[in-house]
Amino acid sequence: MLGPSVIPGATSRELAPAYDAVIVGGGLQGVALAYELAKRQFGRIAVLEAAYPGAGASGRNGEMIRSAFATDEWIGLFDDSLRRWQTLSAELDFNVLFTRAGYLLLASTDAACEAGARNVVLQRRHGLHVELLGHDEVRALCPEMSPEMVAGGILQTDAGFAHHDATLWAYAQAAARRGVEIHPYTTVTGFGVAGDAVRSVASSRGEISTDVVVNASGGQAREIALLAGVDVPIETFRLEAMVTEPLAPFLRPAVSSPAIMGYCHQTTRGEFVGGTEPDVPTPSTSIKSTLDGARDMATKFVRLFPRLAGVRMMRHWSGVVTQTADVAPILGRAPEVDGFYLDCGWVYGFVGAPAAAALMAELIATGSTPPTLEPFGVERFSTGRLIRETSLVVASTDAGVT
Amino acid sequence: MSKTILCLCRDVTVQDVRRAVAEGYDDMETLKRFTGACTGPCQGKTCVDGIRQLLADLTGRPLDEVPAPPRRPPVTPVRLGTLAARDED
Repeated sequence: MLGPSVIPGATSRELAPAYDAVIVGGGLQGVALAYELAKRQFGRIAVLEAAYPGAGASGRNGEMIRSAFATDEWIGLFDDSLRRWQTLSAELDFNVLFTRAGYLLLASTDAACEAGARNVVLQRRHGLHVELLGHDEVRALCPEMSPEMVAGGILQTDAGFAHHDATLWAYAQAAARRGVEIHPYTTVTGFGVAGDAVRSVASSRGEISTDVVVNASGGQAREIALLAGVDVPIETFRLEAMVTEPLAPFLRPAVSSPAIMGYCHQTTRGEFVGGTEPDVPTPSTSIKSTLDGARDMATKFVRLFPRLAGVRMMRHWSGVVTQTADVAPILGRAPEVDGFYLDCGWVYGFVGAPAAAALMAELIATGSTPPTLEPFGVERFSTGRLIRETSLVVASTDAGVT
Repeated sequence: MSKTILCLCRDVTVQDVRRAVAEGYDDMETLKRFTGACTGPCQGKTCVDGIRQLLADLTGRPLDEVPAPPRRPPVTPVRLGTLAARDED
């Protein structure tokens, strides 16, 4: 008799002796990439997940979706993703609860409004549906927002949020229908590398031959890469988030606020979900929640929405992200080892996954790097061609608060 | 049985759990996320053991192989105004 499947589409079958591709990490990146590779009929594909699929950042993130960033590189990648989000439920035949409620990047100072006005010019050139809002317009959109926090903002009208678990399950089932094997509770312990090329994967459930390995292991990406002798310039940080008891609808769009270093939305179930970051992030691989984190979130969200003072926090959790020097993900080949690919260093991984998966699958299947993906290669840290994205709501040790 | 409610906060019934497990959400972590059980205001304090027992019975596993999901703070829901710093400008 077969053991538990953990999620529909996952399997407890024995590992096969050989696969055409092995993806390390059963989070959204890994599972979505497996689906895209299967769509390209890449052959036999296995996803190895150390816990249950979605156990890491894929099930802990803020679920928010936008492509209105401030550089050609970020807009290119993330707008490709946004277009996929808009039809993802149909593509995967599973409702991922994408809610096109709009995404507001709030400006609380005149300087932030001026930067926003510059970014909107670039965003419109890329064809994005963005509106530059003034104080009164933001107040009309978010009547519960504290007026003193509002100078203006950028509203991306066709962005919003989705359900992170549903998205992972949707990709998993669609991948399984195309023959992908997702193996939960399977830990990668090493790689066989010969002649500068990857040849095999060692796991807690046996050894597998393969010529293609993708490191999509999220918070473990640095350690996993080192097992293959690949040094990935990422650091691991803990982020904290919270959810309140459900309340009547009061907030329609997803909201990001650089002034409080926070992001939030109200789910279709009525819960207010969000997270904030301290000004200076602390490197940590712990996923223990802290009282400081709870107080930071409560203080800042009450400042942004005074009515939340009377609303109860139901649950508070943590997750880890791996961050690069420019906070952009690392997508592409590992130069040191043939057949070893990197899909890691994500902070905006939830929104970016649909495009990253499709473009990485194109790279792996065809051998040539799609132009949208090209700037995100790991080579940028040796050539110095970092991506100067300035509209992120992320605390960063290198770039300061961006 | 279809009207037997296991999770009072989210109205999750025995039948809901049976259906979810049959579909493949047969791990306590994914069963919780798919049904919403244990994610309401009581955070599982009322329901988690009943759901674990049913999951163990349905999958033929001993109860100690069906661990409860990690408990997350706060122990009981707390108003954000209580947690917020009062001297913040």
